Amino acid sequence: MIAALAAFTALTTIPALGGVEIDLESIARNWSNGAQRVGMLLTPDWSILPRTWEPMYQTLSMAMVGTVISAALAIPLSLWAARPTNPNGLTRRAVRFSLNVVRAIPDLVYATILVAMVGVGTLPGVITLVLFDIGIVVKLVSESIDSADSSYMEAGRAAGGTQTQINKVTALPQSWPVMASQILYSLELNVRISAILGIVGAGGIGRLIDEVRGFYRYDALSAIIIEILVVVLIIEVISNGLRKRLR
Amino acid sequence: MTALLSSPTRVPAKPRRLALRAAWTLVGVLFIASFWGLDLEWAKLWELPSDVWHYFGLMFSDPDWSKLPEALFQTWRSVSMAWVGALVGVVLATLLGIPAAEGVGPIWVRLPLRWMFAVIRAVPEVIIAIILLTVTGLTPFTGALALAIGGIGTHAKWTYETIEATPTGTGEAVKAAGGNRMQMVRWGLWPSASPELMSLGLYRFEINVRTSAILGLIGVGGIGDMLTAYTQFREWGVVGMLIIVVIVVTMTIDAISGRIRRRIMEGAKSRDLDRIV
Repeated sequence: MIAALAAFTALTTIPALGGVEIDLESIARNWSNGAQRVGMLLTPDWSILPRTWEPMYQTLSMAMVGTVISAALAIPLSLWAARPTNPNGLTRRAVRFSLNVVRAIPDLVYATILVAMVGVGTLPGVITLVLFDIGIVVKLVSESIDSADSSYMEAGRAAGGTQTQINKVTALPQSWPVMASQILYSLELNVRISAILGIVGAGGIGRLIDEVRGFYRYDALSAIIIEILVVVLIIEVISNGLRKRLR
Repeated sequence: MTALLSSPTRVPAKPRRLALRAAWTLVGVLFIASFWGLDLEWAKLWELPSDVWHYFGLMFSDPDWSKLPEALFQTWRSVSMAWVGALVGVVLATLLGIPAAEGVGPIWVRLPLRWMFAVIRAVPEVIIAIILLTVTGLTPFTGALALAIGGIGTHAKWTYETIEATPTGTGEAVKAAGGNRMQMVRWGLWPSASPELMSLGLYRFEINVRTSAILGLIGVGGIGDMLTAYTQFREWGVVGMLIIVVIVVTMTIDAISGRIRRRIMEGAKSRDLDRIV
């Protein structure tokens, strides 16, 4: 086992095969160059902040809209993807497989392609977030329905309920806390992702990041990064508080 | 008694959940406000399905397989970035995460470390790479380093949570036998926590495979680089082929890594035991 892992590691570090060339020398060589940039990063230029309010608001709006739309779509899909709520093996597997495919494509790759399709703006960003969220929320929620106590659902079936009635009256109330918690988590992730979506042209504060990076204004860049950091941490604290109450 | 019997059974009133209703209203208001704030172009929204269908046709009706060898080469580069990044990141995160666990490190070690992890978690890998490339240039090595540093944020958190969730009995036994803190970690906690930590490390690799494709977008190399280039050239046949490659490679790696993780967590299936019993 360990030998196999070591061999795999060795293979990944051969540049001729496309592996990573571990080039510690370049760090030493370019250190002064880097040190200067890091110096700029350490002295944030706060004068950029007024220009960040609008893109930051756009970022947060995108995250919010993406979360709500994906939540609305994820509720029926996760009931569809779990065994107790969808006994039909064919449709269950179809939903699971297509979501696996959706999850296999990274978020910014969606954004790049969608920007090329529908043009620069917030629309490709929101669609990216929705696709990304559905992938994770449905996976986590349907897994929790799978492992949940299904005796209520059996009782519903024994009482002669149809599958839809059983899902509505037993499975849905039972999985609400998990679902709400995952949706909040996806909101956190969305804020993080939508901050960088702009780098490929999908709206939000990332556009500004790309711009200041193009002008080598690393002092402005660090001010923006710190702003994102503060916003993300605030959202995380709020969402953690809410999630603790859900449990 | 008779009064009690004769009175019709009454269903108790539904509890009023004001807080819940207020929360829902707040969500609704925020949603509408955000929606207006975005000023999405409605005209585009209606054309969207037909547009997407059109491009789907361009991408997948006739994928251009002539660029497949280059795509596989770049994929291997992405996977290498992901692996090296995961390896370095997991080692660093384990070393930093264990002292951050309650019951292992003192509070003045724990709190600064946890803050550092939270800060790293909040910075996207792409931004870490943008900072790093001033020193290491646009190379896959930059990508691997960015993944390693970005990985510390989440993996160290998982590490200390795992360590805190392991039963404390063995650790206390080591302490009672006169072991110091290092020995307590090595002989008390590590044996029971390591399977889960290994499994999480592999999971880190799975996540990195996706993120490494993203890092390609800023030019550190790998499949993301190729994907951006051909999307900008609008050579949809190649883009379709690249997406198929990304999906197949990611799903295969997930499946293999998932199987290894199950094996680590549950151990080998003991067929002989079945026969004996």
